[in-house]
Amino acid sequence: MARMLVIIPAYNEEETIAQVIETIRCDAPGCDVLVVDDGSSDGTPDVVMKTGGADLVRLPFNLGIGGAMQTGYKYALRHGYDIAVQCDADGQHPPARIPDLARYVEEGVADLLIGSRYVADTAYAPSLTRRIGKSLMSRLVDALIGGGITDTTSGFRAANRKVVALFARDYPDDYPEAEALIMLHKNGLKAAEMPVDMLPRQGGHTSIRPIHAAYYMVKVGLAILVHMLRKGAA
Amino acid sequence: MDLTPRAAFTEPHRIGLLILSLALFLLVIELVRRRRFKERYALLWIGASAGGLAVGVFPGIIVWIARVTHVQFLTVFFATAFLFLLGLVLSFSMVISRLADENRVLAQDLALLEHRVKRLEDGHDQPSGGE
Repeated sequence: MARMLVIIPAYNEEETIAQVIETIRCDAPGCDVLVVDDGSSDGTPDVVMKTGGADLVRLPFNLGIGGAMQTGYKYALRHGYDIAVQCDADGQHPPARIPDLARYVEEGVADLLIGSRYVADTAYAPSLTRRIGKSLMSRLVDALIGGGITDTTSGFRAANRKVVALFARDYPDDYPEAEALIMLHKNGLKAAEMPVDMLPRQGGHTSIRPIHAAYYMVKVGLAILVHMLRKGAA
Repeated sequence: MDLTPRAAFTEPHRIGLLILSLALFLLVIELVRRRRFKERYALLWIGASAGGLAVGVFPGIIVWIARVTHVQFLTVFFATAFLFLLGLVLSFSMVISRLADENRVLAQDLALLEHRVKRLEDGHDQPSGGE
């Protein structure tokens, strides 16, 4: 039986985090749950402790999603987990699909399996600007590494030991998802995706505002370009 | 000399430059003495003030550069200062990036170790928890 860890990075998610942990305990009972508190200023850590259903690692200050996620990968590596699953704290990612994601990774279908919002007929309907931005990004990533990943920005993913080791060593700072795929490709690891119906946010508010969308495109575009210019792995 | 009188490097210019350079030099030394400055960064500024002093003592340097490059001596001053500051800011960006990386690693390791200490204190020793 593979040892599985679900990593939930959380920044001021006190409204939703308990529910998310609870649902994971129910829908993916074989998994350990780790919440990485990214320097929240609300009651997130207390809420997590009170559930008793998750381990809690508290960063001393806010590192951003990339730094928090990498903390989870370092934890997974140090504690010898076979599979690590990333899951958002806002309840958009359906924990019921975690076992599926993990199973495909365990069977060796891919080193990283992405729960995709676009494959097949999922009911995901983001705003127009977001759709354009994400579609551009996905095309760019796809043009560079191939492999037909349609949802390069989904943060619902399962990783095997090789990917865990890679991400524990090196992981992008902010908006890390697309860049991480380039890193995998350069290290000869394989990503695949399966369709997942995302849920609406259960509370809190999205961290991506319109002004950030422009920054996102430029930053990730630059990061990807730089990755391509670097020689060799990672 | 083919420069117009207005563009010449006059005695007041020279004295002003000497005073500024000397003040900068003394300020940097004092900051290092008070440990407000790392020596490696102080070296840059000492270099800058040494450059200013050199030009103040031997004004021929800047007149020569102005003649060779066919620009007024004031422009030579500003161009030199601009390039120096540009280089400095670039090096600061590099330093900050490195510090941010180191800072991230420290924060992560602190958080993970804190978690581990707590587990050990609570009596949950994990045989698989090594590095």
